This record gives sequence, C-alpha cells and structure tokens, in this order.
Amino acid sequence: MNIKLVFLLILLEISIFPMDLNAQTTFQFGALPALNINRKLKNDWSINAKIESRQLFRRGEINGISENKYNYVLTDYSLITAKKVGLNSRIAAGYLIRIEGEEVNHRFIQQFIIVQKFSGFRLAHRFLSDQTYSYVEQPEFRLRYRITTELPLNGEAVDPGEFYLKVNNEYVNSLQGGEYDLEIRIVPLLGYDVSSNFKLESGLDYRVNSFLNQATRHSYWLSLNIFMEI
Amino acid sequence: MRKLFFLVIIYLPGSLFAQVKFEKERRIKPRDVPAGALAFVDSLNIEQRIKWFLEEGESSKSIEAKFKFNKSNYSVEFDTLGGLQDVEVEVDWKEIDRSVKEAIIMQLQLDCAKFKINKIQKQYTGSKKLSYSIFNNQAINKELELKYEVVVRCSQSSGVELYEYLFDEQGKKLSSAKIIFRNSSHLEY
Repeated sequence: MNIKLVFLLILLEISIFPMDLNAQTTFQFGALPALNINRKLKNDWSINAKIESRQLFRRGEINGISENKYNYVLTDYSLITAKKVGLNSRIAAGYLIRIEGEEVNHRFIQQFIIVQKFSGFRLAHRFLSDQTYSYVEQPEFRLRYRITTELPLNGEAVDPGEFYLKVNNEYVNSLQGGEYDLEIRIVPLLGYDVSSNFKLESGLDYRVNSFLNQATRHSYWLSLNIFMEI
Repeated sequence: MRKLFFLVIIYLPGSLFAQVKFEKERRIKPRDVPAGALAFVDSLNIEQRIKWFLEEGESSKSIEAKFKFNKSNYSVEFDTLGGLQDVEVEVDWKEIDRSVKEAIIMQLQLDCAKFKINKIQKQYTGSKKLSYSIFNNQAINKELELKYEVVVRCSQSSGVELYEYLFDEQGKKLSSAKIIFRNSSHLEY
C-alpha cells in the first residue's frame, strides 16, 4: 500500500464535496477527543468502554455568514462487549448514552468486525447497525460500513515506540422519520504506539451529510484518540 | 517466522513450558547493514527492490533482507556481524515432495480437527558459499540443511487459531508456535 496513494485518495474525496455550489451548504468545525478503554476477558470475550465529547469552535455557511464561538455540544458514554468468533473476526453489541444539554439519547449497537493482515499493512472492516431513541426526536436506525487501514511508518508492523498512519472511511445510512440520509466520513489520523497497550492518535475527522436533500453539511472535527488496554 | 511479526508463544516439543517471545522489527537503510550481509546480497544481483530490516527479539538481534526473485518471496537473515543465518523462500504446497507432504498432513491431522495451510516456506541453513546455489538457477546444494516453516489455520475444540510449525527435511515436526495477533482495538472501535 502506497502512502502517497492513500493521501491522494483522501484529498480527492474530501475535495469533491466542498465544490458543490449549493446555497444551503453549511459547515461546523470543532474537536472530538475520545478515551477508549479495552479489557480482555476469559473465553475470547472483551469489553470496551469509550467516552467521547464534542466541542464546537466555529460554524456557519460556506461563502456566507459564520461565527467563531466555543460551544460544548455533547458527550457520549458507551460500553460494548465483544466475542471473538473467528481467527480475525469479532461480533459485538453494546449501549451508548448521549448527553446533549437536557436531552438524553439511548443507542443500541451491534457490530461485526474482521481484521485482515497483509504484508506491510492491516485492514479492518466494520459492519454496524444502531438504533437511537430519545424523548425529543423520532427513532433513528442506521446501517454503517467502515473500512480502516493501518499503515506502519516503520517496518511491516506497528511496534511500541513507532508511528503509524490510520485512515477510516465510513458510510452511514440513516433512516429517521421516514427520511433517508447518507453520511460519508473520512478520518486520516497519525498514531503513536506508546506501548503495546497504549496508543495515541490525532487527525481530522471529516464528515459530509444531507447532500442528498440539498442541504449539505460539512463537519471538520479535530480528533484526539487515546486507546488503553487494561 | 521472520515474516510474522506477532507476539508468538512457543510450545517446546515434549515440554510443559510455554515460552513467550516477542519480535520487533524496523526498517533500516542499506548503510546501516553490516558489510558482510550487504556484500552477500549485492553479489546475488537481485534486480527487484531489497528491503532491509533489523529484527529484535528478547535476547537477540538479526538483520534481514527481503526481496522478490524469480517471482518468489525471499528473506535472507544475518547476525549483526553479517554472518548468514538462513535463507527462506515461499513455495507452493505442490512443490513439496509427496512423502514430506504426507508426514506434515499426518502431524496436522493429529493436532487439529480441521486445518488449512496458509503459507509454506523452505528454510535453508548453511554457509554463504553453499547458499549461492539457491539463487543461481541450478540444483540447490544438498549440504544445505532444509526445514519447512508452515503457517496453519487450525481448528480445535477450543476455537480456531493460527500456528507456525517447523518441520525437518522429512516432514518431522520440530516445533510449533501459536501466533497471537497484535492488538487491534484501535481498528475496531
């Protein structure tokens, strides 16, 4: 896998969407720090706890009015249990609670993951479905597929003390109140393997949605991920 | 084994002890390669790109050259002074002698309820002089010690795992190691 090719594909995909001339195109820019804690259990089970918060720095219309204002938006708390079902595959299910001001969302998650090892890189495929319920909004049902590439920047595998490039590309199909939407996410991240059970990642989480119903929204989140194995 | 950079647990044959071994490898530049290793690989006149690695175990270090030659994947391992340790070449299952294949299959049938061979490598050990015969398109020198390194997907009652076996020239098992995959939770969540 050529690193230059990966960057080119990311740039190509990110650059396609901001080129639309839709008057209602909006954007938001903020930060998305996340703490991810994983623990292995007996008999191929594992459990994952995650806290992710969203803060907004700037939003507005592309080529229009925008404002710079810090805004704490929400925090997600999730707990997922997983079971290894094959050599490189795992099924998982869990629950996420989203606290957004006074509003509370409950999300149920089911996923299947397969991780492939190639010479010089790894690929992970994640198939996920989730259902979100709240008192304020109609239930939302989503089907998601994410492909993740991990490219070691030194050698053929990521070892402690080494950097790596990770790129997520996810397609999120959503159905809410009879309306369908598609969100596309591209997330290039630079990671550092501090030790075999502690990783740091930082990069840009780019999302585009509502482009099917002429109200395109671009979201740019600065990502900081911490992964710990305990 | 050198192409699988995972945490490996080695089960010593006939032993109740399981040894944990960790191998770490990183890419190095040709200028950091011992002269003896560089000279040997240069003398092979390999046209394809050669990648050099430093491999660190818990108590040992080695230098490894990886390249393609005659459409096969080769890895040549040296000690840190440039002395040749072994040459490995990935081969097709059909290229293995019938009697060796039968011995390997018999062993795998003993160890696994179901199995699938993912990769097989011939491993040649001997002097640099003898090892030239591997690359000169003539008969490989019989004085080289030949072993087979086989990566097997093995299903047992406890589940499915990946194992690395080492067999001698006749297909007799020398060792086997369970391959533990690197942590992937950052790719999953």
